[in-house]
Amino acid sequence: MTSAPASTPPADLVLSARDISRRFGYRRVLNTVSLELYRGQVLLLVGANGAGKTTLLRVLAGLLRPSQGTVTHSAAVGLVAHDAMLYDALSAYENLAFFQRLHGGKDPARIRALLDQVGLADRADDRVGTFSRGMVQRVAIARALLAEPTLLLLDEPLTGLDERTTRIVLDVLTGLRDAGTAMMVVSHQPTDFLGVATHIARISKGGLTVPEPFTTASTTAPLTYDGA
Amino acid sequence: MPSVSRAALAIAGKDIAIEWRTKTAIISGLVFAILVLAILYFSRDPTAVSDLDIAPGTLWVTFTFAAMLGLNRAFLLERERRAMDGLLLTPAPRSAIFWGKFLGNLVFVGTIEAVSLPLFVLFYNVPVWNRLPQLILVIAMATIAFVAVGTLLSAMVVRTRHAELMLPLLLLPFLVPPLVGGVQLTASLLNNRPLSEVWGWLKLIGAFDIAFVTVAALLFEVILDE
Repeated sequence: MTSAPASTPPADLVLSARDISRRFGYRRVLNTVSLELYRGQVLLLVGANGAGKTTLLRVLAGLLRPSQGTVTHSAAVGLVAHDAMLYDALSAYENLAFFQRLHGGKDPARIRALLDQVGLADRADDRVGTFSRGMVQRVAIARALLAEPTLLLLDEPLTGLDERTTRIVLDVLTGLRDAGTAMMVVSHQPTDFLGVATHIARISKGGLTVPEPFTTASTTAPLTYDGA
Repeated sequence: MPSVSRAALAIAGKDIAIEWRTKTAIISGLVFAILVLAILYFSRDPTAVSDLDIAPGTLWVTFTFAAMLGLNRAFLLERERRAMDGLLLTPAPRSAIFWGKFLGNLVFVGTIEAVSLPLFVLFYNVPVWNRLPQLILVIAMATIAFVAVGTLLSAMVVRTRHAELMLPLLLLPFLVPPLVGGVQLTASLLNNRPLSEVWGWLKLIGAFDIAFVTVAALLFEVILDE
């Protein structure tokens, strides 16, 4: 983050974005956004609908090219987006096995372990098309973790989840953070991420505030700002 | 990072597995093929035009339109739950997506052709058995050109609102040369004429195979970037 702790060594830098802008036609959606993320940091990104949150995540993930600026990652990136990026006709196991092959691996034990981690070991062989929204989201998280990413980007990961599933997902995220994975989480509900997020930043009209430490007080602040 | 061939085989295998389970495109393709063969058979006047004269055109009309139903599906699969983003997030070479879809489409179209061909022989009672290897060669060559350009165009139109309508509109003009060649070669084979008579058509289809596959593979990554 631009406000990275002074004690954090540069070797722990996971993501560096410099002056990113992104236009769709004449509409500028991101406006010279700069950002750094270090190992173990979890940045909560809040902002109104249409502020540019999802576009920023897609640019950082490499799915969209920035119109200006550069993005560099130190290693693999995982993305949990609005859509699960899974195939309904395949089972949870088959989906993960397919994406694992595209990552160049073949490790059934790792797939089983990931499904166990997200609480779906007993449904591994059921088709994703038969899953509830929460179960699909958990398979999506397992898919994002296949390549053991050092940076995980999550877009509204708790939307539509019940209390139990929310707890499972938050436990997974906390475990990843403690293991050193850097994360960027887009959410409209900052209170959900108390105990998980380390920093918070606000995005409005494509501009990003300087990230600040995330505390209980942060959850009462307005979600948007007018500085863009 | 997986090699292009490994990633392409994984993608093709996934597409075939999904189609095997859902059977949506293959059943609609086969039903369409049977309907076309039957309708054209019963609508002909055998006293005016012989079966041998109309059979080649019937065969290729059947193959073309039945296969088109499946070509759209290859990328519609990736649109559901935005699975294409999942593919792009992996380190697999982007060209592997084209080759995987191309292989999957070849299997799909080949299956429709393998089922339609015996039905065609049954309906039109045409003498194919003594020229079967040559006929299969002609069908395979025209199919490769057809599927290569179909795979590329289906990737282009999948993000449009009317993908199912757009694909035939864009694809058919490209198919004229290989389809005309396929019809000419099939007519020659069914009439037991020597292939040397239509050697030029065979070379033309071969040239289209090389051109379409090469151009489609090269343009595919550009389309993904857009």
